Amino acid sequence: MRLLKRPAGLLGQVVAILLITLLIEFGASTLLYERASSFAVRDDEANRLAEHLVISRRLIGERQPAQRGTMAAELTTDRYALLWSPTPHPTPRIAPALDEMRRQVIEWEPSLRDARLTLRLLSPGRRSVVTGGMRLVDGSWVYFRTREPLAGISFTAERIALALIPAIALMVLAGVALRRSFRPLKLLATAADQVGRGVVEPVAIDGPGEVRRVISAFNDMQERIRALIAGRTQALAAVGHDLRTPLARLHLRTEALPHDDTREAILHDVAEMEAMITSLLAFLGGAEPESPSMADLAVLCETVIDDAADRGADARYHGPDHLELRVRRLSIKRAVTNLVENALHYGERVTLTLAREDRETGGGVVIRVSDDGPGIPEDKLQEVLEPFVRLDPARGRDTVGFGLGLSIVAKAVADEGGTLTLSNRAAGGLDACILLPDIQ
Amino acid sequence: MTAPTILLVEDDPSLRMLTARALQENGFLVRPASAAPEMWLALDNGPVDLVLLDIMLPGTSGIDLCRTLRQKSDVPIIFMSARASETDRVVGLELGADDYIAKPFGTRELVARVRAVLRRPPMDRLAGSAEQGVLTFDGWTINLPRRELTSPTGAIVDLTGAEFDLLVVLADHAQRVIARERLIELSRTRLGDSSDRSIDVLVSRLRRKLGSAGTPAPIVTVRGVGYMLNVAVERQ
Repeated sequence: MRLLKRPAGLLGQVVAILLITLLIEFGASTLLYERASSFAVRDDEANRLAEHLVISRRLIGERQPAQRGTMAAELTTDRYALLWSPTPHPTPRIAPALDEMRRQVIEWEPSLRDARLTLRLLSPGRRSVVTGGMRLVDGSWVYFRTREPLAGISFTAERIALALIPAIALMVLAGVALRRSFRPLKLLATAADQVGRGVVEPVAIDGPGEVRRVISAFNDMQERIRALIAGRTQALAAVGHDLRTPLARLHLRTEALPHDDTREAILHDVAEMEAMITSLLAFLGGAEPESPSMADLAVLCETVIDDAADRGADARYHGPDHLELRVRRLSIKRAVTNLVENALHYGERVTLTLAREDRETGGGVVIRVSDDGPGIPEDKLQEVLEPFVRLDPARGRDTVGFGLGLSIVAKAVADEGGTLTLSNRAAGGLDACILLPDIQ
Repeated sequence: MTAPTILLVEDDPSLRMLTARALQENGFLVRPASAAPEMWLALDNGPVDLVLLDIMLPGTSGIDLCRTLRQKSDVPIIFMSARASETDRVVGLELGADDYIAKPFGTRELVARVRAVLRRPPMDRLAGSAEQGVLTFDGWTINLPRRELTSPTGAIVDLTGAEFDLLVVLADHAQRVIARERLIELSRTRLGDSSDRSIDVLVSRLRRKLGSAGTPAPIVTVRGVGYMLNVAVERQ
């Protein structure tokens, strides 16, 4: 029992499947042979064969051995082919004996009983012919075969079905069995597809021995990658935090300088570095992961828009007064703020539309931020979501941050299981659309 | 009136010196300390009007120092942190700190925050309406240390700093009319996002956020006088 419980190797399983297949094939063939022995032919057919055999036996037997071959050839008709042989031929292996037909023939010509008559079914190709032999009185043999399929014995369709049914059944069986053996590999492929998308989940160890080892190695690798990324992230975040103290010194030192253009320029640079560190730390996920809580998304969006409007921007909000959804509030607010800031950086006017979609059309909450800026070239729409990517280097100079703005949005939205889609509006400008799953 | 004395606890020597200088140039007396032991010594040397406390200190952390300090004294405390993390801010405020400032900061921001905290009447802080406790009205919850407003359905409703401060003032004086001039004055002593935003705009935004189609927000306008939060407020 212990042996059975141990998972067989992939090789073992395949061999077992082949073995079972062969066994069933063997069983089916045996059944076919058994059935062949009971095949009967029409009476006139048996009569004709019996007569031909009796005549041939007598005529060939009367000739001298040297002439028997020629006689056999002469006796060959368009129906039966005959051949004389001084010694017996070995019995063909794959040719079921036709016992019932033999009984019919001997009933017509009882004299053939002493001739050790054998009748076998031979099927070269799809045509079934009957072959057989009989012994002459002096111990030599006459062999014969029908040149046309015997009337009444053409059961080709039945035989094909008999052979096909087990074959099909076996293919299905082997398919199901192999599929079961390979299922853990499929799960592994799915998991491998998810690597690097934020989900770190070990794959359940299952299946044949080799597959188990692959899954286990994969799980270990996944964990090592996670640890590696976490380590790098921590180091980067630590650098970000530590830079803040010298930056604070620089800030205060600069403010103590006499007022002139250089002082203003340095303060501007310091402010830019501060913004970069803030956006870097936001991208790295902040000091601690936020957990989702119920929040009023409508009020959140309005606050972001009010804020932009207070700074003199043409920012508008369209949507309900209240819309509650379970989200990581601070990171979603950061995402919405980034989209609005981005829109105002490249355009003059920003419109934020918030709506809860009908359940019939898939459901979800849509936050759409549209601007009237130049948009993004179609071939760059995906690229801008990557971290540290900034389009047009010419304008990169007055862009604040590392170009992490949209990556932060993409990450925040992905954390909620939502999607971020960027598209160019027909009327010009960019349309950034956040779709959040509507889980109440 | 003598210049206010500020106890500055900061482990980075240069930053300590620079911060001290920035404060001195703006008319404050500064007693610098590098860590907990020096802080206790400095406190023994005479009264202090405000403590500026770095969160990440060698030895005893700023958080622990704040807890101990609060047990002994009501002196206003402002936290400084390079982490800018929400937890630090909330923990600090829950421990009884009066404000939180993220590093790196400029002189103007630092001085504005120090002045704002110093300007708060002592009673305001003691009563806890400044940053302590939880206020409830009509199913709504105002969490003061977290600076969060929660709707009757349990959703967090986003408020700007100025809006939150205004709501707290209205809740503190619930069922009493507050003159517009007084609100403007109060909004200046607190540190909302921007004090030049008109009170009327803030009130209308608060109304929109607190109201819904069926039930308007419980903020009433008393024509020619000011505003009033027209519901009972409970303090916990």
